[in-house]
Amino acid sequence: MPKDICTIQGVIKNYGNFRALHGIDLHVQKGEFIALVGPSGSGKSTLLQIISGFEAPSEGRLLIDGVDMTDVAPADRPTSMVFQKLALFPHKTIAENIGFPLKLRKVPKAEIAKRTREMLDLMELKPEYLNRYPAQLSGGEQQRVALARSMISHPKLLLLDEPLSALDVKLKKVLQTELKRLHRSLGVTFIHVTHDLEEAMMLADHICVMQNGLLLQVGTPDDIYYRPTHRFVAEFIGETNLFPVKAGQNGSYEIEELPGARGVSSFGGEGVQSDTAYLMVRPEFLHLAAPDHDLDVTIDIVVSETFNHGSTTQVKAVTREGNHIITLEIQGHLDEAVDIGAHLTVGWHDTDTHLFARTADKMEFAA
Amino acid sequence: MSHSLEPSRLMVALHALPSVLLQSAFFVVPLCMTIALSFQETQYYQVQWVWSLTTWTEIFTTYYYWKILFNTVLMSLACVGLCAMIGFPIAYALVTRFQKWQATIKILLVFAFLTDAVLKTFGWVVFLDQTGPANFVLNFLGLPDLPDWVIYSRVSVLFGMVYTLLPFSIFTIYLSVDMIDKNLLRAAYDCGASKFRAFYEVTLPLCKNGLMAGALLVFVLSLGSFLEPKVLGGGKNPMAAELIRQTFETRINWPLGSALTIVVISITVITILLASRLLDLGQGRKK
Repeated sequence: MPKDICTIQGVIKNYGNFRALHGIDLHVQKGEFIALVGPSGSGKSTLLQIISGFEAPSEGRLLIDGVDMTDVAPADRPTSMVFQKLALFPHKTIAENIGFPLKLRKVPKAEIAKRTREMLDLMELKPEYLNRYPAQLSGGEQQRVALARSMISHPKLLLLDEPLSALDVKLKKVLQTELKRLHRSLGVTFIHVTHDLEEAMMLADHICVMQNGLLLQVGTPDDIYYRPTHRFVAEFIGETNLFPVKAGQNGSYEIEELPGARGVSSFGGEGVQSDTAYLMVRPEFLHLAAPDHDLDVTIDIVVSETFNHGSTTQVKAVTREGNHIITLEIQGHLDEAVDIGAHLTVGWHDTDTHLFARTADKMEFAA
Repeated sequence: MSHSLEPSRLMVALHALPSVLLQSAFFVVPLCMTIALSFQETQYYQVQWVWSLTTWTEIFTTYYYWKILFNTVLMSLACVGLCAMIGFPIAYALVTRFQKWQATIKILLVFAFLTDAVLKTFGWVVFLDQTGPANFVLNFLGLPDLPDWVIYSRVSVLFGMVYTLLPFSIFTIYLSVDMIDKNLLRAAYDCGASKFRAFYEVTLPLCKNGLMAGALLVFVLSLGSFLEPKVLGGGKNPMAAELIRQTFETRINWPLGSALTIVVISITVITILLASRLLDLGQGRKK
């Protein structure tokens, strides 16, 4: 098993009476790309500040590469941070900015110049930028300079505090690709904070979803998307269909209330430690009923709105009985235009569904 | 042509007119009058409207005037240095420490600043005078009187000037320190800088402009000090402003007073020009 580069043990952070982190445990392995995701106030930035050393945990421990970081100042930690607003030194040239960590480590000037050039090449920045000032560069270029400054001292952990959040969509996509390439080519462990789960899914090996100072779920992007453990996680990315289910006989679950559903079967909820649960069906797993489709469950719906997403079409509908809101995502654009008010029959395969406990929600709010 | 939202040149000119008139009436015209007056002669306390260089010849040949002007510049420079040295730590501490007391301290500073300078200066005279409360307290405690140089000396003049002008220094430096993004310091620490190094590499260069602006303000105001030399200097250490006042009021030599005024204004203007060259004011953050 690979060694942990960063171990977080029972970290609690209090600000006066407010508890920002409720006992976080996390193991980050060497070379991983980890994303901390959550809405504002979820504690993801606080956790990053604790790893970087700018905040001290109220309780708990942080180890980096096996060393307890409790009494280690930010300057002495093998971490490096890319700040949300980049925090490039406006009075220093690009060369001085990038070389600053080496200058502080008393690296000889020739060596600094050589490594600065290497970083510049790695970030695909033009050499003539070296003598310019940050204000003379574009947002994307400044971003690369900030990354170069963070990487030049070869940190063991690169901490990214939402550095892409202020950029426009197009530039964001370019830099996301860039980040992934950098991560692959450098082999450094990245911890990336973002409120954008889509960005996290795109970049990270493992995603930590946080809410209200709790770590709700840690998993691969597939785990987070297809096998969420909390309603919050399920609903955090895109839209989804959740049907309340309850435990029936012999460990299987039945849909509690979905009038008009035909062929309702029971679902084996292995590992769900609760009597009540949610059945999740992602919109792309809802299919239009057709003779060649062997759907397990079907239901009649009335279309209320359609959204053209280009490669897919999203359909919002309500069930004919009971007015449950249903969201479908259909590949390609529909052959026959689906008019608002149209009656459709849709359904799913039981193998495409996922069950998770419902009580977890209440825990979140009690905490 | 498309309708531009920019106001026409005529409108701009019209909007600027009141300010231009005001500046001309109360600044340009008096300045021109002063210049014109310096080229006149005086006889029996009367200005003679005869164009001549008599006054200017007198100025450039009288050692005494230049001694006073030199003394004024020297005192002003000392005042600038002291204000920066005392003002910087205060301003820096106001931003970085005492978060709780910041508002209170600022209000106290403003109060001290807004109190009339005459009141404050005479207050010090009363306090430090031989028979004043300072000596009374010292004697009561069995200590000797304050030494002679504490009042009516260059030291007391300088003390008074620093005392009056320090708020200008504190406020300009405070603003420049306060405007520095705290994340820059965090970034410096993250890069491996010690507190001292981060201060030297980030804080100090970024508030250089504030320090210089404060210094310039204090210098210009120092050149015009007249209250402190007169009241706290006991008349023994005249400075330029007092010399000009005497020339106008006591000697009733308006041409000479005007010429001395122009010399002081010139020193001020040259200083401002040099400083703005040094600061590259208006050029933003570029070097």
